[in-house]
Amino acid sequence: MLRDLVIHENEAARIGQVLGSFLEESGASEALLIDRSGQLLASSGKTATFDTVSISALAAGAFSSTGAIAELLGETEFSVLFHQGVRESIHVSTVDGETILLAIFNDGTTVGMVRLFAKEACRAIGAVLAEARAQPRRVGALALPLTSDEAGGRIGPESR
Amino acid sequence: MSIINYAAKEINFKVVYYGPGVAGKTASLQHVHRSLPDVNKGKMISLATGDDRTIFFDFLPVSALTVRGFVTKFQLYTVPGQVYYNMTRKLVLRGVDGVVFVADSQFERLKENAESFRNLEENLREYNYDLDRMPCVIQYNKRDLPNAAPVPYLEYMLNRRARRVPSFESVASRGAGVFDALNTVSRMVLLSEFGQEQEVQRNAS
Repeated sequence: MLRDLVIHENEAARIGQVLGSFLEESGASEALLIDRSGQLLASSGKTATFDTVSISALAAGAFSSTGAIAELLGETEFSVLFHQGVRESIHVSTVDGETILLAIFNDGTTVGMVRLFAKEACRAIGAVLAEARAQPRRVGALALPLTSDEAGGRIGPESR
Repeated sequence: MSIINYAAKEINFKVVYYGPGVAGKTASLQHVHRSLPDVNKGKMISLATGDDRTIFFDFLPVSALTVRGFVTKFQLYTVPGQVYYNMTRKLVLRGVDGVVFVADSQFERLKENAESFRNLEENLREYNYDLDRMPCVIQYNKRDLPNAAPVPYLEYMLNRRARRVPSFESVASRGAGVFDALNTVSRMVLLSEFGQEQEVQRNAS
């Protein structure tokens, strides 16, 4: 069973720090930390032009489907995924069983540099996430159960 | 699995539209996309074949009411309905918090509905999810067609487990009933994650 994940300010700051140093050392332009169900957990980067929410959903899908190919080949998974474009390329690597790290980079660096520093970053982020997963879910504002009224959950106009 | 981010003040959930091929899952998402103001939705992505059949998934991020200072965000996905795409269906279910089962009301599709429902249960089980505990609603679609089976009949076919789930009639192409189902499942997801046990039961019955 996949576990719920709670990221507090402290973990968010530590993850932000790791992503920041990763970008600096590797020369990549964007780093996205993505849950394997497709949700963006954290991001860091020099430009804000990419649609990071869509990229996260699609990258998680691509990573899972290549994982399924790996299984058909008798592998547990492919721990790294690399797509090369004319200007921008992406490198995806495994953080832990539930999370992946995606780096977007261009010809300002090389895939070797990105791979090298991604490995280090994944290890550091994995440690932070392990602590985050061990924490209780219902704390702070969410410590007390929601009432029926509070959980309105209304997304759009109903039409009968 | 919900993801709560105290730094960004966000709670994220994943809702999957499941059901047989051409039942109206993508049409339901398209209606949601059309109806919401830009501020409450992201870009809709469809991975489809040339003839508009979903080959991997459709994806639409939406936001709902703020709860205790947290913005609640729902990532809506569809799955490919055709039987032979089971592997992709299973991948999309990873980390699901709630399910909208879109059934095709037409008499001749009853068997496909039942098979798809069974397939949903099997695929959830592979992730150790229990359908009887998963927030779930059924959306009986294509109610405008002359060969639509009566709702009690569909209920008998698809909704006679120990826990009966809320069900809704819909015409997804016109948008009728789509938000009734979505609003209910989102409320069930919130209560299941952060509500009291009795509220969850009351809401589902």
